[in-house]
Amino acid sequence: MSTSIKSRRGVIALSLLLAGGTIALPAQSALASGAGAIPAQFAMDGGSSYGATLEILGYARLVEASYQRSYEDAKKMRGVINEFLDKPTEENLARARKAWIDARPAYLVTEAFRFYEGPIDFADEETGEEGPEAHINAWPLNEAYIDYVKGDADAGIIHDTSIPINDKTILGHDQTEDEADVTTGWHAIEFLLWGQDFNDDGPGARPASDYTPGDKFNDRRRLYLKTVTQMLVKDLSWLAMSWNMDNPNAYATDFLKLPQKEALGRILTGMATLSGFEMASERMAVALDSGDQEDEHSCFSDNTNNDFIYDQKGIANIWFGEMGDKEFAGIQDLVARVDPDLEKKVTAQIEKTTKAIAAMPHPIDQVLASPKGSDGRVKMEQAVTDLVEQGKMLVEVGKALGVKIVVATE
Amino acid sequence: MKATLERRVALIGGVAAASLILVGAVLAVSVSGHGLETAAAAEPAVKHVEMPSPDALPGAALSTRLTNSNAFAQSAPGLTFQQRRDFFFGNRLFNTNWAVAPGSVTKFDGLGPTFNRVSCSGCHTRDGRGRPPLNDEKQLDSMLIRISDGQGNPLPQYGDQFNDRANHGIPAEGRVAFHWETQKGEYADGTPYSLTKPVFELTDLNFGPLGDDVRISPRVASEVYGVGLLEAVPEKEILAWADPDDSDGDGISGRANYQPDPETGEMLIGRFGWKANQPTLRAQNSGAAAGDIGITSPVHPDENCPPAQTACADAPTGDHPDLSEEFLRKLTHYTRVLAVPVRRKPKAPEVMKGSRIFADIGCAACHRPSMTTGKNTALDVLNDQTFHAYTDLLLHDMGPELADNRPDVKATGTEWRTPPLWGLGLVPVVNGHLRLLHDGRADGFAEAILWHGGEAEASKERFRSLSEADREALIAFLKSI
Repeated sequence: MSTSIKSRRGVIALSLLLAGGTIALPAQSALASGAGAIPAQFAMDGGSSYGATLEILGYARLVEASYQRSYEDAKKMRGVINEFLDKPTEENLARARKAWIDARPAYLVTEAFRFYEGPIDFADEETGEEGPEAHINAWPLNEAYIDYVKGDADAGIIHDTSIPINDKTILGHDQTEDEADVTTGWHAIEFLLWGQDFNDDGPGARPASDYTPGDKFNDRRRLYLKTVTQMLVKDLSWLAMSWNMDNPNAYATDFLKLPQKEALGRILTGMATLSGFEMASERMAVALDSGDQEDEHSCFSDNTNNDFIYDQKGIANIWFGEMGDKEFAGIQDLVARVDPDLEKKVTAQIEKTTKAIAAMPHPIDQVLASPKGSDGRVKMEQAVTDLVEQGKMLVEVGKALGVKIVVATE
Repeated sequence: MKATLERRVALIGGVAAASLILVGAVLAVSVSGHGLETAAAAEPAVKHVEMPSPDALPGAALSTRLTNSNAFAQSAPGLTFQQRRDFFFGNRLFNTNWAVAPGSVTKFDGLGPTFNRVSCSGCHTRDGRGRPPLNDEKQLDSMLIRISDGQGNPLPQYGDQFNDRANHGIPAEGRVAFHWETQKGEYADGTPYSLTKPVFELTDLNFGPLGDDVRISPRVASEVYGVGLLEAVPEKEILAWADPDDSDGDGISGRANYQPDPETGEMLIGRFGWKANQPTLRAQNSGAAAGDIGITSPVHPDENCPPAQTACADAPTGDHPDLSEEFLRKLTHYTRVLAVPVRRKPKAPEVMKGSRIFADIGCAACHRPSMTTGKNTALDVLNDQTFHAYTDLLLHDMGPELADNRPDVKATGTEWRTPPLWGLGLVPVVNGHLRLLHDGRADGFAEAILWHGGEAEASKERFRSLSEADREALIAFLKSI
């Protein structure tokens, strides 16, 4: 068995070496626990005296419910994709694509739970274990690493018959040479369902016949799609388990035992980093500055608008304490007690950002292709400004609560 | 076609080693066998160097408090909105997989035709450090091989860097084979150790033999953070530490490399690269883009195709240049403001003890703890900062074991630039390894020290003579900076 994985962070490689060369999905070998593994780094002097037990519990319940929902939606998608593989018609391909689009929102709202080394991207310095984020939502994709692309009909793992297709070999090739050599997750499935997007005014148009059984490469493609879909479901199941509050060994239990400033530090870091770095810079500003039409997150499906809308929804969910028709104690309630003026400002900013994102034209690739000063660009720049402002306000919330928040670069 | 490079290199190494053994003999006798008293009497005194306070921030204003796997990827605090936005775009460029032209994303095509990796981050993963292939890895993923004739000139068929990858339908220059060689030694207290090094061989050559006088120099990708500070140090400040003729008699020289700026031709002091052969970040970044990825830029407008490589020269190209002036400026800005992580547990008693040992055994004579940037640098945030990289940016003769015997501008075949030590303790967190030295042969700090020779031979011997507790304290200090 190969031990030549060089993970995106390298730490997986380390744990594999220590483990004597066995490959397991490292973060899945056990439930992520040990929330205290990173030292208390958020508490700072100052800030009013307050109790946040209810809101921290509300957050944990929201996270639990959100991952559970994402897991269930992904299972639905898996069912439709399997039906497509059973009967690979154009109609069933369209259904599979719709199932992907329908399953995305429930995952996207969980992105606000990233960036503080929780289960999603938990890196344990002791064991070198890394969370499944890089397997779930890695982007950009070097699509030629998976399957054929324009100009190279034999590209990718699907055409390299020296590689058997199963979860271990696919993971064994995930981001081994470059961060973009992504083999798994939402965007790999997206590429397998849509194909490359060379349409100026529509998404990719892979034919359903790519999945007609009996052809050597089609069969490999069928197996690949089935396998990575199953892997995604499994990763989401593990995340839901890690936040399951009925499980005393789960991360959620440790999270609830954290000093409250530490817990609040994690909560706010996730929200602020998603807003001020990941969305504003990594996914919007750089795409605007490169001016390249396909420099967008869900470029195969032209679903990028939803990525922004539901990422922002995830931030709002935590603030307001809501998920669909479910209600939880939100961070808003806490800030309203500690600093009512700030609460009003943040609430107004979150609503403003949500509107700015909703106002962006669909699809985003048309905005990216448009000249400087276009209406679409002006609207997207406004969303960037609002996301940066929202990130700054969440740092301010941290100050009011005596918690130091850093918006870090990935 | 398989070159007998390995033998050639061994031969060259042997000759160089023989001549150096004569020089080194004095030192070798002074420290071997007959007790440390003889050694102490024969050794020059260790130059006194002030160590930084444990409270000092390694990168001064260019420091980040993050110490996790993103620790090397953070921008300096206090940037303006536009500076931060340009940093993020540079980050994107650094992580971009360049595609073969013509690609669907035209701003990011133009890879190759021959290359080493398809992105900056391919080798400098998370702005960190590369390593040699390990376990059953078959190719170089985060290091490369420089080549030249005996005078340091590029080879007519292969240029000055071996590109072992190429676009579909274009021949790569060849393949890099390697094996590991082990040698054994022991500390003065009898504890044994073994040291391994990779020996590289260029095989499957597509453009004929390399010639009789080829020199090859394997080099791992260096970590990227903090380079803005190194660029901002005035030449005078670097030269203040130089001692080309060892006039102070401490056995340590310190010479500056000089090379012409690739755009203006002005002779500038070298700061970057394993032999300090690049004067500015603009030159370093555009040189790496051209040499490593095959990306042209305003500094290097021509595709990197040596005359013999016609398929390379005839291949489709991307935009002219692939990397626009605006993109190169943002990439350079990005590297310039990458922050240095803060120290970890700098006040632990073992670390404080290690800091004293670092100075006492002479490490600080080359691994200069402190330098100060100029008052009018490329960015306000870099002005007048006293930082702690543990490098003098100068060349030192490191002895025959480390020698690549390949001259590089004014650097000889035995000289290397003192590499910075800041942040290395986090390389395991960021990159999952701690392979050190130019070819990544050393697995951890102790092995790296034990490979030191030449001007560092005396310090290495002092390390070898330390007690186990003192050795561990020194390493604890190195991990903390």
